[in-house]
Amino acid sequence: MTHLRKPWWRDRIVGGSLATLAMLLLLSGVVGFVWLPSAQNDARFKGILDAICGAAGIPRGWLADAVPPLPTPRHVSTVVLTPDTLSHDAPGSIGRGGTLALKCTMCHGLRGVSTSETPSLAGQQSASIYKQLRDYQTGARSSAVMEPLVKDLSDQDLKDLAMFYGSLPREPARDLGNAPDIVAFGSPTRNIAACGSCHGGMTSKLGAPWLDAQPRAYLRTQLLAFSHGTRRNDTSAQMRNVAANMTPQEIEQAVEYYGSGR
Amino acid sequence: MPQPASESPSHSDVAARAERRWAIVMLGIIALLVAMVVFTGLHWAMMPPSRVETVDPATLQLSGEFTEANLGSAVEPDGSVTVRIVGQQYSFTPQCIVVPAGTPVTFRVTSADVIHGLMIMGTNINSMIEPGFISTFKTTFDKPGDHQMPCHEFCGTGHQAMWANVKVVEPSAFTQLADHARRLTCDL
Repeated sequence: MTHLRKPWWRDRIVGGSLATLAMLLLLSGVVGFVWLPSAQNDARFKGILDAICGAAGIPRGWLADAVPPLPTPRHVSTVVLTPDTLSHDAPGSIGRGGTLALKCTMCHGLRGVSTSETPSLAGQQSASIYKQLRDYQTGARSSAVMEPLVKDLSDQDLKDLAMFYGSLPREPARDLGNAPDIVAFGSPTRNIAACGSCHGGMTSKLGAPWLDAQPRAYLRTQLLAFSHGTRRNDTSAQMRNVAANMTPQEIEQAVEYYGSGR
Repeated sequence: MPQPASESPSHSDVAARAERRWAIVMLGIIALLVAMVVFTGLHWAMMPPSRVETVDPATLQLSGEFTEANLGSAVEPDGSVTVRIVGQQYSFTPQCIVVPAGTPVTFRVTSADVIHGLMIMGTNINSMIEPGFISTFKTTFDKPGDHQMPCHEFCGTGHQAMWANVKVVEPSAFTQLADHARRLTCDL
Protein backbone atom coordinates (compact mmCIF):
# COMPACT_ATOMS: atom_id res chain seq x y z
CA MET A 1 0.00 0.00 0.00
CA THR A 2 3.01 2.31 0.23
CA HIS A 3 2.55 3.70 -3.29
CA LEU A 4 -1.02 4.83 -2.46
CA ARG A 5 0.16 6.96 0.45
CA LYS A 6 2.02 9.28 -1.86
CA PRO A 7 -0.18 12.26 -2.90
CA TRP A 8 -1.63 11.56 -6.35
CA TRP A 9 0.23 14.29 -8.14
CA ARG A 10 3.55 12.80 -7.05
CA ASP A 11 2.70 9.51 -8.65
CA ARG A 12 5.17 9.02 -11.48
CA ILE A 13 2.60 8.25 -14.14
CA VAL A 14 -0.02 10.78 -13.11
CA GLY A 15 2.52 13.53 -12.57
CA GLY A 16 4.33 12.72 -15.76
CA SER A 17 1.12 12.77 -17.76
CA LEU A 18 0.07 16.08 -16.26
CA ALA A 19 3.42 17.63 -17.01
CA THR A 20 3.28 16.36 -20.59
CA LEU A 21 -0.27 17.66 -21.02
CA ALA A 22 0.75 21.07 -19.71
CA MET A 23 3.63 21.18 -22.15
CA LEU A 24 1.32 20.18 -25.01
CA LEU A 25 -1.10 22.90 -24.05
CA LEU A 26 1.68 25.46 -23.97
CA LEU A 27 3.06 24.23 -27.28
CA SER A 28 -0.38 24.31 -28.96
CA GLY A 29 -0.94 27.79 -27.54
CA VAL A 30 2.31 29.01 -29.04
CA VAL A 31 1.43 27.41 -32.37
CA GLY A 32 -2.14 28.78 -32.48
CA PHE A 33 -1.67 32.19 -30.94
CA VAL A 34 1.85 33.16 -31.96
CA TRP A 35 3.34 31.10 -34.75
CA LEU A 36 0.46 30.72 -37.21
CA PRO A 37 -0.93 34.28 -36.77
CA SER A 38 2.59 35.69 -37.26
CA ALA A 39 2.89 33.77 -40.51
CA GLN A 40 0.03 35.83 -41.99
CA ASN A 41 0.82 38.59 -44.40
CA ASP A 42 -0.63 41.29 -42.19
CA ALA A 43 1.30 43.85 -40.18
CA ARG A 44 -1.25 43.68 -37.43
CA PHE A 45 -0.45 40.05 -36.64
CA LYS A 46 3.28 40.79 -36.16
CA GLY A 47 4.76 40.86 -32.66
CA ILE A 48 3.71 38.53 -29.87
CA LEU A 49 1.04 40.75 -28.35
CA ASP A 50 -0.51 41.61 -31.74
CA ALA A 51 -0.49 37.98 -32.79
CA ILE A 52 -2.17 36.81 -29.60
CA CYS A 53 -4.81 39.57 -29.67
CA GLY A 54 -5.51 38.95 -33.35
CA ALA A 55 -5.89 35.21 -32.93
CA ALA A 56 -8.07 35.68 -29.86
CA GLY A 57 -10.40 37.92 -31.89
CA ILE A 58 -10.05 41.18 -29.95
CA PRO A 59 -12.08 43.75 -31.97
CA ARG A 60 -9.97 46.53 -33.45
CA GLY A 61 -9.38 48.46 -36.66
CA TRP A 62 -7.81 46.36 -39.37
CA LEU A 63 -7.24 49.05 -41.95
CA ALA A 64 -5.35 51.91 -40.39
CA ASP A 65 -3.71 53.67 -43.33
CA ALA A 66 -6.46 53.64 -45.96
CA VAL A 67 -7.41 56.76 -47.85
CA PRO A 68 -10.17 58.59 -45.94
CA PRO A 69 -13.79 57.93 -46.97
CA LEU A 70 -15.35 60.23 -49.53
CA PRO A 71 -17.82 62.77 -48.17
CA THR A 72 -21.48 61.79 -48.35
CA PRO A 73 -23.49 63.82 -50.86
CA ARG A 74 -26.41 65.73 -49.42
CA HIS A 75 -29.13 63.84 -51.24
CA VAL A 76 -28.66 60.48 -49.59
CA SER A 77 -31.13 58.97 -47.18
CA THR A 78 -30.04 59.53 -43.59
CA VAL A 79 -32.86 57.55 -42.00
CA VAL A 80 -31.82 54.91 -39.50
CA LEU A 81 -34.39 52.13 -39.37
CA THR A 82 -34.28 49.44 -36.72
CA PRO A 83 -37.13 47.25 -35.49
CA ASP A 84 -37.37 49.63 -32.51
CA THR A 85 -37.57 52.88 -34.48
CA LEU A 86 -41.35 53.10 -34.18
CA SER A 87 -42.14 50.71 -31.37
CA HIS A 88 -41.49 52.91 -28.32
CA ASP A 89 -43.91 55.61 -29.25
CA ALA A 90 -45.74 57.64 -26.71
CA PRO A 91 -49.40 56.80 -26.07
CA GLY A 92 -51.69 58.92 -28.20
CA SER A 93 -49.34 58.73 -31.14
CA ILE A 94 -52.01 57.36 -33.47
CA GLY A 95 -54.52 60.01 -32.40
CA ARG A 96 -52.07 62.85 -32.94
CA GLY A 97 -51.12 61.33 -36.27
CA GLY A 98 -54.81 61.25 -37.23
CA THR A 99 -55.09 64.96 -36.55
CA LEU A 100 -51.94 65.76 -38.51
CA ALA A 101 -53.20 63.56 -41.35
CA LEU A 102 -56.04 66.00 -42.04
CA LYS A 103 -53.51 67.82 -44.22
CA CYS A 104 -52.93 64.65 -46.23
CA THR A 105 -56.52 63.64 -47.01
CA MET A 106 -56.76 65.78 -50.16
CA CYS A 107 -54.45 63.42 -52.03
CA HIS A 108 -54.15 60.27 -49.93
CA GLY A 109 -57.88 59.85 -49.22
CA LEU A 110 -60.01 60.38 -46.13
CA ARG A 111 -59.00 57.06 -44.61
CA GLY A 112 -55.71 56.57 -46.42
CA VAL A 113 -57.18 55.00 -49.56
CA SER A 114 -56.18 57.12 -52.50
CA THR A 115 -58.45 57.69 -55.47
CA SER A 116 -55.82 59.47 -57.53
CA GLU A 117 -52.30 58.69 -58.63
CA THR A 118 -50.89 59.20 -55.14
CA PRO A 119 -50.16 56.08 -53.11
CA SER A 120 -52.65 54.61 -50.67
CA LEU A 121 -51.32 54.69 -47.14
CA ALA A 122 -53.96 52.72 -45.21
CA GLY A 123 -52.31 49.82 -43.43
CA GLN A 124 -48.92 50.62 -44.94
CA GLN A 125 -45.81 49.62 -42.97
CA SER A 126 -45.24 52.45 -40.50
CA ALA A 127 -41.47 52.22 -40.90
CA SER A 128 -41.77 52.75 -44.67
CA ILE A 129 -44.00 55.80 -44.28
CA TYR A 130 -41.66 57.29 -41.69
CA LYS A 131 -38.63 56.72 -43.89
CA GLN A 132 -40.20 58.39 -46.92
CA LEU A 133 -41.42 61.37 -44.87
CA ARG A 134 -37.93 61.86 -43.42
CA ASP A 135 -36.40 61.57 -46.87
CA TYR A 136 -38.75 64.26 -48.22
CA GLN A 137 -37.72 66.43 -45.30
CA THR A 138 -33.98 66.04 -45.89
CA GLY A 139 -34.30 66.25 -49.67
CA ALA A 140 -33.13 62.67 -50.24
CA ARG A 141 -36.41 62.12 -52.09
CA SER A 142 -37.84 64.99 -54.03
CA SER A 143 -41.43 65.99 -54.63
CA ALA A 144 -42.70 69.48 -55.24
CA VAL A 145 -45.85 68.62 -53.30
CA MET A 146 -44.52 66.62 -50.39
CA GLU A 147 -41.42 68.63 -49.52
CA PRO A 148 -43.23 71.82 -48.43
CA LEU A 149 -45.84 69.76 -46.56
CA VAL A 150 -43.33 67.98 -44.33
CA LYS A 151 -40.82 70.79 -44.05
CA ASP A 152 -41.98 72.07 -40.67
CA LEU A 153 -42.99 68.80 -39.04
CA SER A 154 -41.00 67.44 -36.10
CA ASP A 155 -39.55 63.95 -36.01
CA GLN A 156 -42.31 62.94 -33.58
CA ASP A 157 -44.94 64.33 -36.00
CA LEU A 158 -43.57 62.09 -38.73
CA LYS A 159 -43.63 59.09 -36.44
CA ASP A 160 -47.21 59.87 -35.36
CA LEU A 161 -48.32 60.11 -39.00
CA ALA A 162 -46.60 56.83 -39.78
CA MET A 163 -48.25 55.15 -36.80
CA PHE A 164 -51.66 56.53 -37.76
CA TYR A 165 -51.57 55.32 -41.33
CA GLY A 166 -50.10 52.01 -40.25
CA SER A 167 -53.07 51.51 -37.93
CA LEU A 168 -55.73 51.88 -40.64
CA PRO A 169 -57.19 48.72 -42.23
CA ARG A 170 -55.25 47.54 -45.24
CA GLU A 171 -56.68 46.19 -48.45
CA PRO A 172 -56.40 42.39 -48.38
CA ALA A 173 -53.19 41.12 -49.98
CA ARG A 174 -53.56 39.26 -53.22
CA ASP A 175 -52.86 35.58 -53.71
CA LEU A 176 -49.34 35.05 -55.04
CA GLY A 177 -50.63 32.07 -57.00
CA ASN A 178 -51.74 34.35 -59.83
CA ALA A 179 -48.61 36.49 -59.73
CA PRO A 180 -46.33 36.85 -62.75
CA ASP A 181 -42.89 35.27 -62.47
CA ILE A 182 -41.17 38.54 -61.66
CA VAL A 183 -43.33 38.96 -58.55
CA ALA A 184 -43.33 35.35 -57.36
CA PHE A 185 -39.85 34.17 -58.38
CA GLY A 186 -37.89 37.17 -59.60
CA SER A 187 -35.12 36.27 -62.01
CA PRO A 188 -32.26 34.78 -59.99
CA THR A 189 -29.94 34.40 -62.96
CA ARG A 190 -30.21 38.13 -63.59
CA ASN A 191 -29.76 39.17 -59.99
CA ILE A 192 -33.43 40.04 -59.42
CA ALA A 193 -35.08 38.78 -56.24
CA ALA A 194 -38.83 38.22 -56.32
CA CYS A 195 -40.83 41.39 -55.52
CA GLY A 196 -42.73 39.30 -53.00
CA SER A 197 -39.60 38.49 -51.00
CA CYS A 198 -39.48 42.03 -49.60
CA HIS A 199 -42.82 43.70 -50.43
CA GLY A 200 -45.16 41.14 -48.88
CA GLY A 201 -46.74 38.00 -50.21
CA MET A 202 -43.81 35.84 -49.18
CA THR A 203 -41.90 37.91 -46.64
CA SER A 204 -41.50 41.55 -45.81
CA LYS A 205 -38.49 43.63 -44.97
CA LEU A 206 -38.15 46.57 -42.62
CA GLY A 207 -38.58 49.74 -44.67
CA ALA A 208 -40.04 48.00 -47.74
CA PRO A 209 -43.67 49.01 -48.31
CA TRP A 210 -46.62 46.82 -49.21
CA LEU A 211 -47.37 47.34 -52.87
CA ASP A 212 -50.83 45.81 -53.11
CA ALA A 213 -53.52 48.02 -54.62
CA GLN A 214 -51.27 51.00 -55.28
CA PRO A 215 -52.08 53.19 -58.30
CA ARG A 216 -50.48 51.86 -61.46
CA ALA A 217 -49.10 55.22 -62.54
CA TYR A 218 -47.36 55.66 -59.21
CA LEU A 219 -45.80 52.19 -59.25
CA ARG A 220 -44.58 52.63 -62.82
CA THR A 221 -43.09 56.06 -62.19
CA GLN A 222 -41.21 54.90 -59.10
CA LEU A 223 -39.87 51.69 -60.65
CA LEU A 224 -38.63 53.62 -63.66
CA ALA A 225 -37.12 56.28 -61.40
CA PHE A 226 -35.22 53.61 -59.49
CA SER A 227 -34.06 51.89 -62.66
CA HIS A 228 -32.83 55.18 -64.20
CA GLY A 229 -31.24 56.23 -60.92
CA THR A 230 -33.30 59.40 -60.68
CA ARG A 231 -34.73 58.27 -57.34
CA ARG A 232 -31.84 57.50 -55.00
CA ASN A 233 -33.20 57.42 -51.45
CA ASP A 234 -33.03 53.63 -51.16
CA THR A 235 -30.31 52.88 -48.64
CA SER A 236 -27.14 51.44 -50.26
CA ALA A 237 -28.93 51.23 -53.64
CA GLN A 238 -31.08 48.35 -52.46
CA MET A 239 -33.96 49.00 -54.86
CA ARG A 240 -31.91 50.57 -57.68
CA ASN A 241 -29.88 47.33 -57.90
CA VAL A 242 -33.08 45.39 -58.56
CA ALA A 243 -34.92 47.84 -60.80
CA ALA A 244 -31.88 48.44 -63.01
CA ASN A 245 -31.87 44.76 -63.97
CA MET A 246 -35.60 44.58 -64.77
CA THR A 247 -36.74 44.65 -68.38
CA PRO A 248 -39.51 47.09 -69.39
CA GLN A 249 -41.82 44.05 -69.74
CA GLU A 250 -41.06 42.92 -66.20
CA ILE A 251 -41.70 46.40 -64.86
CA GLU A 252 -45.04 46.43 -66.66
CA GLN A 253 -45.96 42.96 -65.33
CA ALA A 254 -45.17 43.97 -61.74
CA VAL A 255 -47.16 47.18 -62.15
CA GLU A 256 -50.13 45.27 -63.60
CA TYR A 257 -50.09 42.75 -60.77
CA TYR A 258 -49.77 45.16 -57.88
CA GLY A 259 -51.77 47.98 -59.43
CA SER A 260 -55.21 48.64 -58.05
CA GLY A 261 -58.29 47.72 -60.07
CA ARG A 262 -58.78 51.25 -61.32
CA MET B 1 -1.62 -12.41 4.75
CA PRO B 2 -2.01 -12.98 1.02
CA GLN B 3 -2.25 -9.85 -1.10
CA PRO B 4 -5.31 -9.39 -3.35
CA ALA B 5 -4.40 -10.23 -6.91
CA SER B 6 -4.86 -6.68 -8.25
CA GLU B 7 -2.32 -5.26 -5.83
CA SER B 8 0.47 -7.66 -6.62
CA PRO B 9 3.49 -5.66 -7.86
CA SER B 10 3.64 -7.48 -11.16
CA HIS B 11 0.03 -6.56 -11.96
CA SER B 12 0.47 -2.88 -11.15
CA ASP B 13 3.58 -2.89 -13.32
CA VAL B 14 1.50 -4.24 -16.17
CA ALA B 15 -1.11 -1.55 -15.61
CA ALA B 16 1.57 1.15 -15.54
CA ARG B 17 3.06 -0.07 -18.79
CA ALA B 18 -0.34 -0.13 -20.46
CA GLU B 19 -1.10 3.36 -19.27
CA ARG B 20 2.21 4.62 -20.52
CA ARG B 21 1.59 3.11 -23.93
CA TRP B 22 -1.83 4.68 -24.06
CA ALA B 23 -0.37 8.04 -23.07
CA ILE B 24 2.27 7.78 -25.81
CA VAL B 25 -0.36 6.89 -28.42
CA MET B 26 -2.56 9.80 -27.31
CA LEU B 27 0.38 12.18 -27.36
CA GLY B 28 1.22 10.96 -30.80
CA ILE B 29 -2.31 11.62 -32.04
CA ILE B 30 -2.35 15.13 -30.57
CA ALA B 31 1.07 15.87 -32.00
CA LEU B 32 -0.11 14.69 -35.41
CA LEU B 33 -3.21 16.92 -35.23
CA VAL B 34 -1.14 19.95 -34.24
CA ALA B 35 1.28 19.19 -37.04
CA MET B 36 -1.63 19.08 -39.50
CA VAL B 37 -2.86 22.44 -38.25
CA VAL B 38 0.62 23.89 -38.67
CA PHE B 39 0.99 22.46 -42.17
CA THR B 40 -2.40 23.65 -43.43
CA GLY B 41 -1.93 26.98 -41.67
CA LEU B 42 1.45 27.66 -43.27
CA HIS B 43 0.99 26.11 -46.69
CA TRP B 44 -2.72 26.35 -47.45
CA ALA B 45 -3.46 29.54 -45.49
CA MET B 46 -6.22 27.69 -43.67
CA MET B 47 -5.71 29.73 -40.50
CA PRO B 48 -8.95 31.56 -39.74
CA PRO B 49 -8.18 35.26 -40.22
CA SER B 50 -9.71 36.38 -36.90
CA ARG B 51 -9.68 39.99 -37.97
CA VAL B 52 -12.51 41.05 -35.70
CA GLU B 53 -13.75 44.58 -36.27
CA THR B 54 -17.16 45.91 -35.34
CA VAL B 55 -19.47 48.42 -37.03
CA ASP B 56 -23.07 49.53 -36.41
CA PRO B 57 -25.14 47.92 -39.20
CA ALA B 58 -28.03 50.41 -38.82
CA THR B 59 -25.91 53.49 -39.54
CA LEU B 60 -23.62 52.28 -42.32
CA GLN B 61 -25.16 54.78 -44.75
CA LEU B 62 -24.57 57.81 -42.53
CA SER B 63 -20.80 58.00 -42.12
CA GLY B 64 -17.62 56.01 -42.20
CA GLU B 65 -16.29 53.86 -44.99
CA PHE B 66 -19.54 52.08 -45.98
CA THR B 67 -21.46 55.13 -47.17
CA GLU B 68 -22.82 54.77 -50.67
CA ALA B 69 -20.33 57.23 -52.12
CA ASN B 70 -17.38 55.32 -50.68
CA LEU B 71 -18.31 51.83 -51.91
CA GLY B 72 -16.28 50.22 -54.68
CA SER B 73 -12.55 50.07 -55.34
CA ALA B 74 -10.22 52.72 -53.96
CA VAL B 75 -6.55 53.10 -54.88
CA GLU B 76 -4.30 53.42 -51.82
CA PRO B 77 -1.09 55.50 -51.70
CA ASP B 78 1.01 52.30 -51.70
CA GLY B 79 -0.61 51.20 -54.99
CA SER B 80 -2.77 48.50 -53.42
CA VAL B 81 -6.54 48.53 -53.86
CA THR B 82 -9.22 48.50 -51.15
CA VAL B 83 -12.67 47.25 -52.18
CA ARG B 84 -15.65 48.07 -49.99
CA ILE B 85 -18.90 46.15 -50.39
CA VAL B 86 -22.22 46.18 -48.55
CA GLY B 87 -24.37 43.05 -48.65
CA GLN B 88 -28.07 43.40 -48.01
CA GLN B 89 -31.25 41.52 -48.83
CA TYR B 90 -30.90 40.72 -51.81
CA SER B 91 -27.97 42.28 -53.57
CA PHE B 92 -24.39 43.39 -53.17
CA THR B 93 -23.52 47.05 -53.66
CA PRO B 94 -21.66 47.61 -55.91
CA GLN B 95 -23.01 44.90 -58.17
CA CYS B 96 -19.97 44.82 -60.40
CA ILE B 97 -16.59 45.00 -58.69
CA VAL B 98 -13.55 45.91 -60.74
CA VAL B 99 -10.00 45.16 -59.55
CA PRO B 100 -6.58 45.07 -61.23
CA ALA B 101 -4.68 41.80 -61.75
CA GLY B 102 -1.35 41.29 -60.01
CA THR B 103 -2.04 43.92 -57.38
CA PRO B 104 -2.66 43.41 -53.65
CA VAL B 105 -6.38 43.82 -53.00
CA THR B 106 -8.02 44.20 -49.60
CA PHE B 107 -11.73 43.44 -49.40
CA ARG B 108 -13.77 45.12 -46.68
CA VAL B 109 -17.31 43.79 -46.55
CA THR B 110 -20.20 44.12 -44.14
CA SER B 111 -23.92 43.45 -44.01
CA ALA B 112 -26.73 45.92 -43.46
CA ASP B 113 -29.28 43.36 -42.28
CA VAL B 114 -28.75 39.61 -41.86
CA ILE B 115 -25.88 37.15 -42.25
CA HIS B 116 -24.76 36.86 -45.85
CA GLY B 117 -21.81 35.10 -47.42
CA LEU B 118 -19.46 35.80 -50.24
CA MET B 119 -17.32 33.61 -52.42
CA ILE B 120 -15.49 34.59 -55.56
CA MET B 121 -15.69 31.64 -57.89
CA GLY B 122 -12.41 30.29 -59.22
CA THR B 123 -10.51 31.66 -56.21
CA ASN B 124 -10.20 30.65 -52.57
CA ILE B 125 -11.95 33.83 -51.39
CA ASN B 126 -14.80 32.77 -49.18
CA SER B 127 -16.15 34.59 -46.17
CA MET B 128 -19.23 35.10 -44.09
CA ILE B 129 -20.65 38.62 -44.04
CA GLU B 130 -22.14 39.38 -40.66
CA PRO B 131 -24.11 42.43 -39.59
CA GLY B 132 -22.11 44.29 -36.95
CA PHE B 133 -18.74 43.04 -38.18
CA ILE B 134 -16.40 43.94 -41.01
CA SER B 135 -14.96 41.00 -42.92
CA THR B 136 -11.46 41.90 -44.09
CA PHE B 137 -9.48 39.69 -46.42
CA LYS B 138 -6.52 40.20 -48.69
CA THR B 139 -5.72 38.63 -52.00
CA THR B 140 -3.96 39.15 -55.31
CA PHE B 141 -5.67 38.06 -58.53
CA ASP B 142 -3.05 36.54 -60.79
CA LYS B 143 -4.74 37.09 -64.16
CA PRO B 144 -7.56 39.11 -65.72
CA GLY B 145 -10.95 37.47 -65.98
CA ASP B 146 -14.57 37.54 -64.90
CA HIS B 147 -15.77 35.85 -61.74
CA GLN B 148 -19.20 35.45 -60.25
CA MET B 149 -19.60 36.26 -56.60
CA PRO B 150 -22.71 34.58 -55.13
CA CYS B 151 -24.03 34.92 -51.61
CA HIS B 152 -23.51 31.45 -50.16
CA GLU B 153 -25.20 31.86 -46.79
CA PHE B 154 -28.98 31.47 -46.87
CA CYS B 155 -30.21 35.01 -46.19
CA GLY B 156 -33.95 34.85 -46.87
CA THR B 157 -36.50 34.13 -49.57
CA GLY B 158 -34.58 36.08 -52.23
CA HIS B 159 -31.21 34.49 -51.42
CA GLN B 160 -30.84 32.68 -54.74
CA ALA B 161 -30.96 36.00 -56.62
CA MET B 162 -28.13 37.57 -54.63
CA TRP B 163 -24.82 37.69 -56.44
CA ALA B 164 -22.40 40.13 -57.99
CA ASN B 165 -19.69 40.15 -60.64
CA VAL B 166 -15.98 40.56 -60.07
CA LYS B 167 -14.09 41.80 -63.11
CA VAL B 168 -10.31 41.47 -62.92
CA VAL B 169 -8.71 43.76 -65.50
CA GLU B 170 -5.17 44.56 -66.64
CA PRO B 171 -3.48 47.03 -64.26
CA SER B 172 -3.15 49.56 -67.11
CA ALA B 173 -6.89 49.43 -67.82
CA PHE B 174 -7.57 49.86 -64.11
CA THR B 175 -5.28 52.87 -63.93
CA GLN B 176 -7.18 54.47 -66.81
CA LEU B 177 -10.46 53.92 -64.98
CA ALA B 178 -8.96 55.31 -61.78
CA ASP B 179 -8.14 58.58 -63.55
CA HIS B 180 -11.85 59.27 -63.93
CA ALA B 181 -13.28 58.33 -60.54
CA ARG B 182 -12.06 58.02 -56.99
CA ARG B 183 -14.20 54.95 -56.28
CA LEU B 184 -14.46 52.45 -59.09
CA THR B 185 -17.17 50.00 -60.02
CA CYS B 186 -18.21 48.40 -63.29
CA ASP B 187 -21.93 48.90 -62.54
CA LEU B 188 -23.87 49.79 -65.64
